[in-house]
Amino acid sequence: MATTTNYSWSTPDNTAYVKDGASAIRTLGSSVDTTLFTALGGAYPGLRLIKKQTIGTGVSSVSVTSAFSATYENYKILVTGGSASSTPDLNFSLDGITTGYYSSLRYSAYNSTTPQAISSANAASFAYTGSGSSGNLYADIEIKNPFAAKTKVVTGVLNNMVAGGAAGEMTGFNASTTSATAFTITPSAGTLTGGTIYVYGYGAS
Amino acid sequence: MTKPFIQIDDEVREMTDDELAAYEEQQANALAPLGE
Repeated sequence: MATTTNYSWSTPDNTAYVKDGASAIRTLGSSVDTTLFTALGGAYPGLRLIKKQTIGTGVSSVSVTSAFSATYENYKILVTGGSASSTPDLNFSLDGITTGYYSSLRYSAYNSTTPQAISSANAASFAYTGSGSSGNLYADIEIKNPFAAKTKVVTGVLNNMVAGGAAGEMTGFNASTTSATAFTITPSAGTLTGGTIYVYGYGAS
Repeated sequence: MTKPFIQIDDEVREMTDDELAAYEEQQANALAPLGE
């Protein structure tokens, strides 16, 4: 029987019977499946880009749908480029969950070494999950279990990107077990223009 | 008066009354932005 060059997958000979075609295709498909699974290290391994969304002009909030699913448990969301009409913090919420967001931020001003902290309890969104300035938007959000019926856990980074601003790390949670497939990013003031939202899933198998 | 714009994936439009009410409530309850 003929085989492929690199992985020696079996393929039908030119003289093989047509009646054996279904079996031959099944054998070849299984070989490809096995080789890919082994070579990649799983069915959906590594960090994989799920969705890329360009932000429009002068929008007060941006929702990204079909971001979360049963394929992945944990996700990374990046926001880069673009601009904000002021210097807002970026709030982050899961569609279908309107309350119960808890956030805590440890930060310092760029012109100070004094550690400071701020928090919000039972709010309508996670606070301080990113920042905007006239020259850039910035978010680096990690979220665990947005789709699973489990407590949602978030970490984020605030970086005002202005000389008089501040920077720090936030953590948060929402005890809701609601399954979310979409999320919304809302500036705490003003609007957003341009920039890109990237959603990645961490391979689970 | 023009309402704030909301974006859902590639669609950008004015907020509905319900969306505007939810947005204004969230903004009213937001902590003071650190960058302001």
